[in-house]
Amino acid sequence: MKTDIARMRNIGISAHIDSGKTTLTERILFYCKKIRRMHEVKGKDGVGATMDSMELERERGITISSAATHVVWAEHDINIIDTPGHVDFTIEVERSLRVLDGAVLVLCAVGGVQSQTITVDRQLKRYDVPRLAFVNKLDRVGANPVKVRDQMAERLGLNAVLLQLPIGLEDDHRGVIDLVSMKALIFEGRDGETALEAPIPEHLLAEARRRREEMLDAVSLFSDELTAAVLEGKETEDMIRRAVRRGTVSRRLVPVLMGSAYKNKGVQPLLDAVVAYLPDPSEVENVALDLDREGARVVLRADDDAPAVALAFKLEDGPYGQLTYVRVYQGRLHKGLELLNTRSRQKVRIGRLGRMHAESMEDIEEAGSGDIVTLFGIECQSGDTFVRPGLDLTMTSIHVPDPVVSLAVESTDRRSSDNLGKALSRFTKEDPTFKSYVDGESGQTIIQGMGELHLDVYIERIKREYRTEVRTGRPQVAYRESISRPAEFDYTHKKQTGGAGQFGRVMGTLEPLPEGMYEFVNEVRGGRIPREFIPACDKGFRSALKKGRLIGFPIVGVKVRLADGQAHAVDSSDIAFQAAAQGAFWQAYERAGALALEPVMRVSVESPSEYAGAVFASINQRRGVIVSSVEDGTFSRVDADVPLGEMFGYATVLRSLTQGKAGFTMEFLKYSRVPAFLSEKLIAEFREKKSGQTDRKADKER
Amino acid sequence: MVKEDLVKRSPLRALERSIHGGLGPGHIGVLASRKGVGKTACLVHIAADRLLQGRPVIHVSYSARVDYIINWYEDIFKEITGRRESPEAAEFLEEVIRHRVIMNFKQDGARTEQVLKSIEAMIKDGRFEAQTLIVDGYDFGLARPEDLSKFREFAGRLGIEFWFSASLRGEDPLYDDAGVPRLLAPFLGEVSVLITLHDEGGHVRLKLVKDRDFPPGELNLKLDPRTLLLAEA
Repeated sequence: MKTDIARMRNIGISAHIDSGKTTLTERILFYCKKIRRMHEVKGKDGVGATMDSMELERERGITISSAATHVVWAEHDINIIDTPGHVDFTIEVERSLRVLDGAVLVLCAVGGVQSQTITVDRQLKRYDVPRLAFVNKLDRVGANPVKVRDQMAERLGLNAVLLQLPIGLEDDHRGVIDLVSMKALIFEGRDGETALEAPIPEHLLAEARRRREEMLDAVSLFSDELTAAVLEGKETEDMIRRAVRRGTVSRRLVPVLMGSAYKNKGVQPLLDAVVAYLPDPSEVENVALDLDREGARVVLRADDDAPAVALAFKLEDGPYGQLTYVRVYQGRLHKGLELLNTRSRQKVRIGRLGRMHAESMEDIEEAGSGDIVTLFGIECQSGDTFVRPGLDLTMTSIHVPDPVVSLAVESTDRRSSDNLGKALSRFTKEDPTFKSYVDGESGQTIIQGMGELHLDVYIERIKREYRTEVRTGRPQVAYRESISRPAEFDYTHKKQTGGAGQFGRVMGTLEPLPEGMYEFVNEVRGGRIPREFIPACDKGFRSALKKGRLIGFPIVGVKVRLADGQAHAVDSSDIAFQAAAQGAFWQAYERAGALALEPVMRVSVESPSEYAGAVFASINQRRGVIVSSVEDGTFSRVDADVPLGEMFGYATVLRSLTQGKAGFTMEFLKYSRVPAFLSEKLIAEFREKKSGQTDRKADKER
Repeated sequence: MVKEDLVKRSPLRALERSIHGGLGPGHIGVLASRKGVGKTACLVHIAADRLLQGRPVIHVSYSARVDYIINWYEDIFKEITGRRESPEAAEFLEEVIRHRVIMNFKQDGARTEQVLKSIEAMIKDGRFEAQTLIVDGYDFGLARPEDLSKFREFAGRLGIEFWFSASLRGEDPLYDDAGVPRLLAPFLGEVSVLITLHDEGGHVRLKLVKDRDFPPGELNLKLDPRTLLLAEA
């Protein structure tokens, strides 16, 4: 089945907890499903369909659980992409935002723009996602959609334009006025499935006219045709819709719709707006990096006849086995097509293609540009790019930040130990910033990630999805070691204990490499170290970097210059030069001014202005550096750079400081030198641990 | 070493000499001109000079976005340190920036009391002991003399100095006979030092209009249009 790209929408529903995202998503699925089914039934036996209540009840329970769900509305294919609920910045959020072409930003009609709304909106801005706003919960006490629109303008800096007005609020909420068609929409029927068009109630007419004027003023900026028509009083609905669409797609306007998902009001017009105003995949520019040309940017063409490029954005273990969700950016996918995974360099062949519906999976033959589909049994990681062999493009930058925090996890019994293993193997595949390993010294399973909250999310998922109880240790900061000045080395590794001897001598310098991890420069001339042993030297230095001798963490930012050396005709070997390089590294390490580094996070705290002082103080107490503070009237946002080690438990502290009215997000920024007092403590702890191990070893030997 | 040199050679020493030892705690200084002449560049240079001396600065902005201000500082520092790109220069910038906080307000959204309350919270609760505050983008057209006197009272109480920029607009003449911008006339009682900037075809000349109770002297300073740094004329 091939779909027309102009009739395709890839959207996300972005909202923070409690604004009614789940209910709205359920209602969307319900209405789309119902309409689709009515069509089918009519097509088959020509009888209008009504669903019995049992069936309705069952369908009510649908929750969107898959990464992308396909629905049909007004002859348009809409893929609804699940955007993770937690607002902490992780690769997972990035990926899901990346595959969207547009979003519905859900706001609560009572709470309005809250700190988390700001974060969600900032993410949408960061990825240039065009959006509609849906002001939900008009049935709640204190609902005020017009005030929410004003807040969107003030706090989010959005050109938010009302396309609707409420008919009744709170208990009296019955429907909405469409300011484009100047008609009232009243939602009736048990499930609001009947949207009755009616004239605008008399008492609301004057306000509707005034708001329409405002809307036309804002919208006509995007269309000369509309401006001219408005002057003559000859504007048509189509003209207005075209202008709204242009403003929305270019991200200079945000149409505001409203209703109450819970009371089944306003959802169908929202779907109409998704179709009318959000872009189709061909209207969004997508860029890949060309690995053959040093990562040069390549603009992809949403053209079915171009060579295929697709991004795996989510892996899922479901009732159908391992599923890989891909977004096709260019070309088309079909059964039997061979693709290259540009990360692993492996070729795969598509055996089966599918499309996910709310409660079923449909096998399809092919998928065109812009579509979101699932592949089966494909070995890959989330974030991998698949291309037609011959191309060498990647959709994501290769750089994945190293995890900055780790946590020991322990299963409570044998069965849960198996489940834990399964869960960890799946999560590490899905999220490249989440890692797990077994610590060689303690035998503990360690998980690593980008922050305390990031790991909390996975612990919670292990408990919920795998029904596995785990015990966790205290979060640990992933420190690093580095050097601060150049130091020379000259080291000879020599062993003569019967049999073949070992001999290798290396000379050169260690130098700080502030922006990098490790660099090896071979400056050996005249074969003083035979060429075949140079890789062994490199390997020897690399292995030394894995665990530093200052505080026991990996070493970064070192440039090794190998200048000279010596070999023996019989006794030199790979092993001998590896050992020599290691010895040389430790010989010079302390003299090179070894020091400890800690991860520093960029923290954003959002709170009502009256708590600004408490927030400043809390950051100061955490060795934080405040970068900026932005206040607009009643609300303030503070950006600060804070060492990760000081951020554990901050969520709880912030809650109690601000009566739960503040929220924060953080992401990794950089590694910085740890202050002297902390460095001394870490060095002492490492020594103690090491001597403990030596004692245990000695005990064992005795 | 290099840092001390930069501080000693800074054209701002000439400014301090001209205004009898600098602005000082409890005082308000204003740089005024039409839009786009270089007020922000001057303010950032004043701030950069304090930062080089290891003295914390709060940059209060009423208009520009935070990332825009951050870029201003980076550019000015590059010019001051002579465009040297080295690990030391990067470390130097990082160290200097630790002493700078940007606070952004909307003038119509926040009342002067609230702004001062937040600044005080930064200084006291945040233990950010700035003695120099830069205030850019403040609209004197929207302000009342009482607002500025609140700033001055605040400056006296906390022992800080404020450097404001004032954007002049409207039709000529912008200045009265004494060279005082007409927009600022109602505020003059609260302002200790007033400097105006004049675009004189190719370079910008700074003129001292008010210097507390002293008769305003010559100010041998100009703004280099290429580097956007102050320089001795």
